[in-house]
Amino acid sequence: MTITVHFWSYFRDLTGIKSDQFEVPPGTHVGAFLDLVYGRHSALVPLRGSALVAVGVEYADSNQVLEPGSEVSLFPPVQGG
Amino acid sequence: MNRSVVLTADPLDEASLAASRPVSATAGAVVSFLGCVRSMESGRTLAAIEYEAFPEMVHRQFQVILDQAEARWPLESVEVVHRTGRVEPGRPSVWIRVTSPHRAEALAALGWILDEMKRIVPIWKRPVWG
Repeated sequence: MTITVHFWSYFRDLTGIKSDQFEVPPGTHVGAFLDLVYGRHSALVPLRGSALVAVGVEYADSNQVLEPGSEVSLFPPVQGG
Repeated sequence: MNRSVVLTADPLDEASLAASRPVSATAGAVVSFLGCVRSMESGRTLAAIEYEAFPEMVHRQFQVILDQAEARWPLESVEVVHRTGRVEPGRPSVWIRVTSPHRAEALAALGWILDEMKRIVPIWKRPVWG
């Protein structure tokens, strides 16, 4: 299945793109998906510890299983206000 | 509880925001907060801050925050207006108004909502140095 990841804030600058797509097997967890993302976008690797992850509009943890059509977002700590 | 969350690229004017949103006569406390861009950040002069938001998730996460606030305090209303785009020093980036029958809960809720916003609402700042 195809999963799209969207980059926000300076993660977009570091990757040079707004979003990317990956083919993954059904049942893939967020953590395994992120391994693929960081593998392709190594500029983000040093920021992995502080990066936030969402599936759709909800925060996600590494154990969450992705569904066909899931939209993942990856971004740095938020700074509203 | 009445609630409203707005993201806007237009400048915020506190007087207009308040005037366009009448307060119920049952509210004994009307507490508002206006957050403004500072002229200095980490010892450097700022020309502006560019605000970026993930709009759909901003609205969802504010709903999460306001659901919890409503469960915790007897609030009558919470209104949030947050800027996107370029905001220059001295200009407001966020306006939040909380109303409740009594002041203690409105004051407590406003501080808590701001803290939660800074923790989970996906809005980012990009400094434009002067």
